Amino acid sequence: MNETRNGLTRYSCPYCSNTFDSFEAIKSHIITDHKTELLPEPEGMIKLTINAQKYKIRVEPEWTLYYLIHDQLGLTGTKLMCDHGACGSCTVIMNGRAILSCMTLAIECDGKQIETVEGIAAANHPLIEEYVKHHCMQCGYCTPGFVVAAKALLDKNPHPTEGEVREALAGNLCRCGTYPQHPKAILEAAKKLQDLVEVK
Amino acid sequence: MEHDKYIPETFNLVGKRGIRRIDGYRKASGKAIYTRDVQLPGMLYATFLTSPYASARIKGMNTSKAEALPGVRAVLRYDDPEIRGKKVISTYGGEEEILSGYAYFQGQQVGAVVAADTEDIANEALRLIEVEWEERPFVLEPEDALESGAPLARPEWIPAPKGTISADLSATQGEGAGSNKLPVSFGFAPVLRFGDIEKGFKEADKIIEFKARRRYHGCADAEMQSGITRWEGECVEVWLHHQHPYEHKWTMHQWFDIPMNQVKINSPYNGAMFGGWNWIDYSMIPQCVSAILAKRTGRPVKWVFNRRDDFTFGQMDVMTTDFKVGAKRDGTITAVKLKTVYANCSFEAALHFLENTSIPHIYSETLLAQVNRGPTMAIRCEQAPPSFCFSHVFNHVAAELKMDPTEVALKNDGTEGEDMEYLAEFKRSHGFPVRDSLRECIEAGKKAIGWDEKWHPPGSKRLPNGRMHGMGFVWTHEWDSTRGAGVAGLLIQPDGTVSIIALRSDIGVNAETTYCQIVAEELGMRIEDVFFRQQDDVYLPLMTPDGSCNLTTNGYVMKKVAKLAKKKLLELATSTVHLIESDIPPAFPGMKPEDLDIKESVIYAKVDPSNKKSVAEVVKDVKGSVILPREYAAIQNTTHEPIFVWAWHRQGRLGVEPGRHHLCRQAHFCEIEVDPETGEIEVTKVVNVNDVGKAISPEAVEGQQYGGTYMGIGRNRSEEYIWDKPTGVLLNGNLIDYKFSTMGDVGSIETIIVETGMGYGPYGSVGVGEDIGTVTSYLLESAVYNAIGKWVDDGPLTPDKVLKALGKA
Repeated sequence: MNETRNGLTRYSCPYCSNTFDSFEAIKSHIITDHKTELLPEPEGMIKLTINAQKYKIRVEPEWTLYYLIHDQLGLTGTKLMCDHGACGSCTVIMNGRAILSCMTLAIECDGKQIETVEGIAAANHPLIEEYVKHHCMQCGYCTPGFVVAAKALLDKNPHPTEGEVREALAGNLCRCGTYPQHPKAILEAAKKLQDLVEVK
Repeated sequence: MEHDKYIPETFNLVGKRGIRRIDGYRKASGKAIYTRDVQLPGMLYATFLTSPYASARIKGMNTSKAEALPGVRAVLRYDDPEIRGKKVISTYGGEEEILSGYAYFQGQQVGAVVAADTEDIANEALRLIEVEWEERPFVLEPEDALESGAPLARPEWIPAPKGTISADLSATQGEGAGSNKLPVSFGFAPVLRFGDIEKGFKEADKIIEFKARRRYHGCADAEMQSGITRWEGECVEVWLHHQHPYEHKWTMHQWFDIPMNQVKINSPYNGAMFGGWNWIDYSMIPQCVSAILAKRTGRPVKWVFNRRDDFTFGQMDVMTTDFKVGAKRDGTITAVKLKTVYANCSFEAALHFLENTSIPHIYSETLLAQVNRGPTMAIRCEQAPPSFCFSHVFNHVAAELKMDPTEVALKNDGTEGEDMEYLAEFKRSHGFPVRDSLRECIEAGKKAIGWDEKWHPPGSKRLPNGRMHGMGFVWTHEWDSTRGAGVAGLLIQPDGTVSIIALRSDIGVNAETTYCQIVAEELGMRIEDVFFRQQDDVYLPLMTPDGSCNLTTNGYVMKKVAKLAKKKLLELATSTVHLIESDIPPAFPGMKPEDLDIKESVIYAKVDPSNKKSVAEVVKDVKGSVILPREYAAIQNTTHEPIFVWAWHRQGRLGVEPGRHHLCRQAHFCEIEVDPETGEIEVTKVVNVNDVGKAISPEAVEGQQYGGTYMGIGRNRSEEYIWDKPTGVLLNGNLIDYKFSTMGDVGSIETIIVETGMGYGPYGSVGVGEDIGTVTSYLLESAVYNAIGKWVDDGPLTPDKVLKALGKA
């Protein structure tokens, strides 16, 4: 934006390319003529909240939300299995809804509230302990995706039936076949959540 | 013949429910790290060019545009002088080139690898590579491949060199280079003869002939394949998504001519592996390539397969078998004759008749053809081909004789042509409990599924919803207690906690916990005080999930190290510790080690349990021998030598040793509904009964029963790789079109654990991880026959085949 030539600094407007001799001049021009904050956000800058932490980050247009969360932010609990929206391993909760982060572009997530398995564990959600107790994992690779899908279910439906649990998890693939253990854990977690509410 | 005859009458931890899984929190909370998750500073990504053709040779290749792409750091070509013509160095024989200039199946990693700053850049560079291909004729089906005049599936193939495992295991038949006929795999002879097959047919009242088939399917593992290599001067460090981590130490040593003591391995958690990949030479290629690229670029290189790349190998039961069976009217089978044609890898199809029945006359012929499909290997597991033949024979015999199939099973139970009386004597004379495992399994399973009320003549029961009702049953023996070797150390830390020290790879069977259970049981510790972090290279390889018998081998190692540690610990507790300037009296003055015992991490006097000290109190450094506080002494072990022990155990050779018979059995039952309009099979209930000898972690056994059933039913009903016949291109290399079971695909599953103590593993256990997934892969044939009265002997049993059997397609 500023260019120094022959000892003179020239300032170029990022909106209209007009040039100015001083920083004060360009600042006044941007505020008066473009009616905006001093500097535009770089292309691809998004703000989002992940697990109650605020992030402001520049993303490339082709980045998926999975790539942002897993590779860029190091929240590696979100897993990539099918890479085609078929398995549920990359599930995160966005604005209260379970979504597939491998099928969501990061650039579309400006202003969104995201919850990952790390956030669910950090909040000591009873699902985690019930999952451990009921052996809902073997290799464990798909497990976080199940936990997130289950959390999204319980947020919306605190007292699901076993059928509703099975329905909610029907889109999550587990190659180790841990399926029968999940409904037991989720129904127990629902009970524990209910107890917590009653205590409060 | 080794087996555990020293089984305590009561256990504190072994076999107990409710023991917290060591990996549970990490896996549920997303904290467990897999190779795919690992990123290192400056790491490059390597992706592979793949063949668009089923058979092709690269005539020329221009990589200049790819090399010029910003962000590309290296391109390794098949004609690079460092690798040209060189084979993969594996412990099996090395029949694959590091990066070949030809392809023998579509999707094969071939010709070039790009290392770039990001995966996207690497993939973009691959698209800029110009290849001049020589497309060649190909053959997909093994029967076609064995016809004279068939195209050569892999003209460049030459047998493994002498002195390698592959060569040593090969029988001499096979026609070598220039033929599609391969040597029979795993060291089996091309023809197995037991008894006199013609005599067996003469003794029979009925001769039954049929043909059955199983089509190509695969692993479809959860975590796509990847690995990392980093050089640190003369040392190399690797991160492996692989079940044979220690093998890479050997291959790196061989390939780069570096000592094994300069190779470090990281073995993070593995996202669903069931064998297969790890047994194929092919799996060594990408790690080797990444090591070369890492050396050249001076950066860590992570190789990655995408989901389609992952569909480059399959399970080894790609087979068609012609059956001829002789049986008496009472269900006694007198003769079994098999002729099996396999694709790319074979096994002995008659094995279970031999190991597991009193059938006196068996003949089995094996033909193995190379075809233009990816390599096949044991994916849960190598016992699939014999299980396939076993279930088909018993199904057909029971049907032809109009008998209850459970009766036919009991009629023929035995071993190597001998009956149950012989087996009972064997059990008695070798110190085993004398129990009739199959009878116990069948009785429990029949009761659970309501067999006596529900089983009916074939095709005779239509449900109110219009569907046909069917009951299915399969059985065989349990395996996985007979081979392997492992070594581990055990260290009691200065705070009294116990570390198991060994490297192994995890595939999710709760092994970390079960090993800790055994150590805690034998040493007298609380389970919370024992920990096993198996991911780290500590230069002691345990039996890793590379060949079926893990807990049954490693469990012995755990017993041994725990006993050695207990001995040392009690010696320390009763010894004076000599320091430089003073002596420290024993923790238990005037007592001998045999006067003490340990329970709940507390050492106590047997005569007076109130005389006790915790293990932590006994092992801690009471006084440093240097002029520094005790806290410093505690990390230096300055008072006494640390309690560190190690042990090794060898369980046996591959398979059953002569005279060592399998004694435990398994039986699986199902109830299904077949929709005669759509041909769909709904599995409403499955009952698994496994005699595991002794369940060390009952929840882990149940996990294998559930998981094996889901995998088996998925394979039995829908799992199949589908190739386009005119082009040889794989059409469904993704998890949308390759269908494995979801939560909704099996109704209820009831699991029953039988514990007869008749396994060769510790506490009389056998392994269970492979059994259910393998055996239930052939469960539905009998149920479909019972439902519709027609055979569908062509797996997977897709709706189109069911409709065809019903005459509707």
